[in-house]
Amino acid sequence: MTEPGANASPPPKAELLRTEHLTRHFKIGGALSRRTLHAVDDVSFAISEREIVALAGESGSGKSTIARVLARIYKPTSGEAYFEGKPLSGIRSRRDALRYSGLVPMVFQDPFASINPVFRIQHGMLRCLKLHRPELPASQRLAEAARVFEVVGLNPDMLGRFPYELSGGQRQRVGFAQALAMRPKLILADEPVSMLDVSIRIGLLNLMAKLRDEEGVSILYITHDIASARYVADRLIVMYAGQIAETGPIDDVLTHPRHPYTQLLLSAVPDPRAPLSVAAETDRGEPPKVVDPAPGCRFRWRCPLAIDTCEQVTPQLAELRPGHDAACHVAQTSAEEVKAFL
Amino acid sequence: MLEVSGLSVDYVLDRGNVRAVDDVSFTVGRGEFLGIVGESGCGKSTLLFAVAQLLSPPAVVAGGSVLFQGTNLVGLTDDQLSAVRWRDMSVVMQSAMNALNPVTSIGAQFKDAMRAHGKYSAEEITARSAEVLRMVGIDPVHLRSFSHQLSGGMRQRAMIAMALLFTPDLVIMDEPTSALDVVAQRSLMVQIKELQQAFGFAVIFVTHDMSLISHFSDRLMVMYAGQVDELGVTRQIFDKPLHPYTQGLLEAFPSIHGPRVPLKGIPGNPPSLASPPSGCRFHPRCPSAFDRCPAVAPDLYPVGETLVRCLLHENGSPSR
Repeated sequence: MTEPGANASPPPKAELLRTEHLTRHFKIGGALSRRTLHAVDDVSFAISEREIVALAGESGSGKSTIARVLARIYKPTSGEAYFEGKPLSGIRSRRDALRYSGLVPMVFQDPFASINPVFRIQHGMLRCLKLHRPELPASQRLAEAARVFEVVGLNPDMLGRFPYELSGGQRQRVGFAQALAMRPKLILADEPVSMLDVSIRIGLLNLMAKLRDEEGVSILYITHDIASARYVADRLIVMYAGQIAETGPIDDVLTHPRHPYTQLLLSAVPDPRAPLSVAAETDRGEPPKVVDPAPGCRFRWRCPLAIDTCEQVTPQLAELRPGHDAACHVAQTSAEEVKAFL
Repeated sequence: MLEVSGLSVDYVLDRGNVRAVDDVSFTVGRGEFLGIVGESGCGKSTLLFAVAQLLSPPAVVAGGSVLFQGTNLVGLTDDQLSAVRWRDMSVVMQSAMNALNPVTSIGAQFKDAMRAHGKYSAEEITARSAEVLRMVGIDPVHLRSFSHQLSGGMRQRAMIAMALLFTPDLVIMDEPTSALDVVAQRSLMVQIKELQQAFGFAVIFVTHDMSLISHFSDRLMVMYAGQVDELGVTRQIFDKPLHPYTQGLLEAFPSIHGPRVPLKGIPGNPPSLASPPSGCRFHPRCPSAFDRCPAVAPDLYPVGETLVRCLLHENGSPSR
């Protein structure tokens, strides 16, 4: 685990994945409708090697859409994502697609829906190995599956079991084992612990940290739970209404949140060890409008600090502290830190 | 006001009965907020359904009683129950997405509820419906809206408004915030507390997220494998948890304040209720288990104001 403050001056790490102005829109309504849902709008970020980046935001903020674009389930409407310097749109052959999905696998939210219930656990593991690691002889696949199971903290005996025999936490470990079997560089983990019991979650979070520290895997950890993000992640990206509101080293963002939305999010986290914060009680937590949005800050309806500029100009990310950017007109123009909700 | 004693619920299955709720007793006073926490499969939702007498086969009440304002609800007929339900005791279900009817307007559903539980004129129904919606902070124009036109938070608020139609004395809530994100969740909790203080109804609030109710509930009941593990004043349990399971649950939450410390969570998985472990049901996962734990089933022992089911506290000593 990284010590607080240690990532103020991060050692230079090789960049693994980068998105530039990534945008994904969806047409909604009937065939004649011209309305467009802006699920992800102009999102640029990078993920380095051996790094856990948390992507946080409320439901509908575009977190999962980003993961799906990066997993090549959706094509971006505009913008581009680059993996190891090569654009994803350049992947055309089946061989390249397989190679990419092996290097950047996905772990899904619902461990009860993401494993085929009619096959033994080993079925999915062996198929992963057969598809993505053709150099491995068939006779060694089972041994390799057993090795990976031990890495994720599962008894290799479980390979012969059926999914219904496993608990939620064990199934989610199977999800990580399948991803790990492909020797990934970056795992896209979409809310991997949100369906699990509280007492089980920490074990999975510790597993994610272990994969980073011992296996050298980067993880894009999509979550709405800021406290768990703080526990494992190195950097935090806060999404709001399809755009990045704030991004930076996680401890810096959490101790010096500059965007009012980040402040609201933090004030709402229940913490039995802290006294009850009375802030944000008037906020109803309504999701923003992202259907055919007009220019301007998308948080302005909920923001107590909104000024005239917020009505007309969409704020862009600007560096306010070392490596720590926020897209907020008020935070960018005021010298001292402005608190909207804390 | 509500007195549950020795309540047990069995699921009657072909391969034998599974006891999902085992000998649970607790009371709820007027205007009190009782939080019930536990992991999935610990019997907390079954317990709620038993209290509200909403169990359907294969679940049956195997023993005990639910005294609500002096009437034992166990064994009442549906007609007798309908006089109590909704008017005096109402239930807010877990998922408002599914609990609201998608093909009729919110107002029509309010009307159905009022018609089913009393005789009211159309004006009275409209007035009362608008009033309860305003109480939860929704504009009454939404009486004509359908559930898909409302956000998750608003749907959940509409459900609470519906539960308050008859100013009940007890509102039972089964994870009403679990589908919401943190900001909406916090806002809903604050609202529930405000309504409770304004109208003086009691709340039984079931959740798996202990941190959520830390600032809102008066008393807390921790359930594990169908049994009560710890029952006491919320603040005391958070400050000084006695049962190793409660301690583990509290330590399983990463905090956003203070230093980052490695956490362990609780090893293992919750037990199957079909074959619970011998002795103390928590002993296979318990870091403090000793030789008697697998053999002796602990009782609920009083330690100060708290009741705790752990042999470490057999003599009432608060030692760990």
